[in-house]
Amino acid sequence: MESAANTPLPETGDVSQRGLLRTVWDVSFRIVIRYIKNSYKDDPFRTFLEVCLVGFIIWYMTKQKYNIGTNEVVLTTKEIDELCEDWKPEPLVPELTEFERETLDKAVLIDGPNGIRVKLASGSGKQVLNFASYNFLGFINSPDIEKRAQEMLRKYGVGSCGPPGFYGTLDVHMELEKQLAAFVGHSSAILYSQAFTTTLSVIPCFSKRGDIIVADEGVAFSLQQAIALSRSKVYWYKHNDMADLERVLAEVNAQLAGRKSALPRKFIITEGLFQNTGDITPLDALVELKHKYKYRIILDESLSFGVMGKRGAGLTDHYNLDPHEVDLMIGALNNAIGASGGFCCADKDLVEHQRLSGLGYCFSASMPGILTVAAADALHSLENNPDDYLPAMRENSVHLRTLLRRIQGLQVEGSNESPVVHIRLTPETLVRMKRSGGAWTKTDIDRVLTELTDEAQKDGVLLTRSMFVDEHERLMPNSSIRICVSAAHTKKDIEKCAHAVKSAVSRVTSKKR
Amino acid sequence: MGKGQRAATAYKSTEYISQQRDEDGLITHPFTAAPTSSSSLLGDKKPTFTLVTTYLSYLMLIVFAHIRDFFGKIFYPGQYVQLREQNGFAPMVSDFESLWSRRLYGRIRDCFNRPITGVAGGHVALLERFSRDFNRTFEFTGRLRNVLNLASYNYLGFAQSEGPCADTVEQAMREHGLTQGSSRAEAGRTQLLVEAEETVARFVGAESALIVSMGYATNALSIPALVGKGSLIVSDELNHSSLVSGARLSGAAIRVFRHNSTRDLEKVLRKSISQGQPRTHRPWRKILVVIEGLYSMEGEFCKLPEVLELRRKYGFYLFVDEAHSIGALGPRGRGVCDHFGVDPREVDVLMGTFTKSFGAAGGYIAGSRQLIDYLRLHSHSAVYAEAMSVPVLAQVLSSMRMIMGEDREHALEGQQRLDQLAINSRYFARRLVELGFMTMGDKGSPVIPLLLFNPAKIPAFSRECLERNIAVVVVSYPATPIITGRVRFCISASHTREDLDFALKQIDEIGDLLELKMVKGNDAHMQAALKKLE
Repeated sequence: MESAANTPLPETGDVSQRGLLRTVWDVSFRIVIRYIKNSYKDDPFRTFLEVCLVGFIIWYMTKQKYNIGTNEVVLTTKEIDELCEDWKPEPLVPELTEFERETLDKAVLIDGPNGIRVKLASGSGKQVLNFASYNFLGFINSPDIEKRAQEMLRKYGVGSCGPPGFYGTLDVHMELEKQLAAFVGHSSAILYSQAFTTTLSVIPCFSKRGDIIVADEGVAFSLQQAIALSRSKVYWYKHNDMADLERVLAEVNAQLAGRKSALPRKFIITEGLFQNTGDITPLDALVELKHKYKYRIILDESLSFGVMGKRGAGLTDHYNLDPHEVDLMIGALNNAIGASGGFCCADKDLVEHQRLSGLGYCFSASMPGILTVAAADALHSLENNPDDYLPAMRENSVHLRTLLRRIQGLQVEGSNESPVVHIRLTPETLVRMKRSGGAWTKTDIDRVLTELTDEAQKDGVLLTRSMFVDEHERLMPNSSIRICVSAAHTKKDIEKCAHAVKSAVSRVTSKKR
Repeated sequence: MGKGQRAATAYKSTEYISQQRDEDGLITHPFTAAPTSSSSLLGDKKPTFTLVTTYLSYLMLIVFAHIRDFFGKIFYPGQYVQLREQNGFAPMVSDFESLWSRRLYGRIRDCFNRPITGVAGGHVALLERFSRDFNRTFEFTGRLRNVLNLASYNYLGFAQSEGPCADTVEQAMREHGLTQGSSRAEAGRTQLLVEAEETVARFVGAESALIVSMGYATNALSIPALVGKGSLIVSDELNHSSLVSGARLSGAAIRVFRHNSTRDLEKVLRKSISQGQPRTHRPWRKILVVIEGLYSMEGEFCKLPEVLELRRKYGFYLFVDEAHSIGALGPRGRGVCDHFGVDPREVDVLMGTFTKSFGAAGGYIAGSRQLIDYLRLHSHSAVYAEAMSVPVLAQVLSSMRMIMGEDREHALEGQQRLDQLAINSRYFARRLVELGFMTMGDKGSPVIPLLLFNPAKIPAFSRECLERNIAVVVVSYPATPIITGRVRFCISASHTREDLDFALKQIDEIGDLLELKMVKGNDAHMQAALKKLE
């Protein structure tokens, strides 16, 4: 266009053609003028309207597009240069605080394999009993699984060198997916290569902008992130409070009743076994509410899969419910199963949809074959002999809780059968400890908890404070030490743990500060 | 479609204006003076006929999809139940959203998710499958099919179940078990992990490094620790999905600049810095520019030296995603910094993955000690996600040591693999151009896309290749712009010259069959393309 406009018309053009053009132009101009004159004579108001309309169109066409919220300042080049010169960014990351530095320097360092007993390279440097890893069924460091894994190395190598869509789907992936779906009792399953990212992929895949999420306030961080990524409208209900959930559901439905637009997708999102508290969701009540208020359930069973229920198939097994009542069940293979990665069980259509739209599935390499087979083997063991694992784990959990509850000044959280035990000092103890008076900051509390774990480590028990990225958690969970009980712990181990906690508490609380 | 076109023309006009106004303060680069980017070269030579037929084909596909849906809903309402509101529940996947996957992707589903067994090395064993119901379900014949693998990201050929690396991995599994069952910040930090992190830092030339157990998570879970509200992310328009997720999760403002255009980047920067935050005009707290080292769909390198020049001038922080380039680029395999000969310490955040060149899984973030120490306590992956498993760590360690020549027994093998990859990639790219195909990508890129354009040629190419025992990856819209559907070859050091010649011969035949050779021998375009690859 530019070039056409710039090229001068050839002087020796076809004269007759140019004459014709001029005639056409004159005629059409005259017609327009006559039209305007006539219409003005007939209806002057109409002419006024038309002029306004033309003016509006010109204004609309020339105004700047998409100027929502911009209040741009027009600047000269010199001013821009100066502003660019002046701008100084903050440092990319802030300096670590003193306590953070300590945490980093004193972090647990394990020498050799993880498992029930681990050798430490940090701190005391001796062998300790591990109550920090999620090893509920004791599959980590199981000799049979490791032997099979070494064989599988010779078949599958390590990495899969591609996402599942591009020749990254192994035969063992498909087998494990089938096995998982059959074990849970759902229609179909899909594997992801990291547990954290599973929720991050599944939820935004179905819940989009304009959809509605009603979520528990106490959910773990991965769910909070997934909900944020989905950009849906979120309503939070009080942690594990079904009455409050019902109130929220009714309110949301009442709001929607007035709307004429298409029905949005509505989800209730919660965890099976809460990572931050060790509580269990009352799924039976949740399913009733689901049907009453027409919501779908997305249940994160990262911790409850392999732990809850007669067979260890999770919360639907525990409550004897049809697994299909949970529309999207998200599980993890790195906790109870002792391998790596996560999965989602759902109807076949929904699983197939994830294979195209699940970001963590489409855009990352698939799970290494070795770990897939390790997961399948562990699952087989659980499937065939649930009684070798589950009763022992539950007895240990109940036993540990009973022992811990006897300790003065200690608060023990979580439902009785859950192998995740959160402990912290009671507020009264904390008040008593601070002789100088004054309030406890979070760092103070964290520091005391770290002292507790250090003391326990001296007695040969490895514990960990629950770690959080404080500034990103929506509601900061109460600081605590998270103890993970395993089926492979003996009664003696449990007693040793309780004893270590007891003496640690007495030592820490009696210390002058 | 219309919107995209409008954006394209709008872009063209701004480009024109900005060239007119160079006194504007935009620095002129000796590099940008000539149109070196292959996509701009391509812009001139897109064959009009092909463009028209491509658009027409998509139009036809969409019209047919709607017609089939229309009649389908009348005659087989049962199949469409899940797309309607039922019993007070909204459909999980909306009708419109699923049209693409049902009616367009469904036709070519057999070209994707092809299952394999064993190692995805230079050759790979596919499980043979067929469909009786137009790709809705697949059945397996139980036979295996050994095919040449031009699809996996196995650049240095470390996807192996035998050899020194596999032996090291086995030994490590005996000594260190399999997994940790805990996050890095809690009880997942092992000596093997610390050793691997130190090795990675040494490999990329940074002070310190952090290892993450999944590649996608490395970006998605680390960017939120770096920037937040009040900060700005300036991102290349073709950045990987994980970078987009990370940027969204961070809560920072996001601006996009045109792919690999430092001129556009500078314009965005000048405007953003001078205007400050929207509405309040407060200065930005930080600006993070996010680019990739090697764009895996285009085979193009980022313009690192020019971006670094801008970094010196404007003081933003630079994040380079080396998912594909680490191990595969540069004379010593140290990625895009090595390729351009710049000091890696000039890049603030170096990110990469182990999935590709190292035959492992997961990824890393490397940078200054202060940065990495902070991330160890504040990045979501280090605090919440599972720590890296032992076999993967051992694979990373052994392959990296081999590339660095630290493995005494196999001191030369790493360099041999690097050289082999470079030779293979150049040979393959040059031969494709000589045959008359339209390719993309920079010289020495192990990823070589070949343009197919028409939607019908996309599955046809993949099926023809499979028929001739070659595994390839084809990509089309929405992964690429609608017109430039392509096949992407990934070259590996494990390919022999015979493998490549075999592949070229077959591709030559397929090219004749599908009329893909759009550049004629004496064409100026071919001369230009060849010159670029010299």
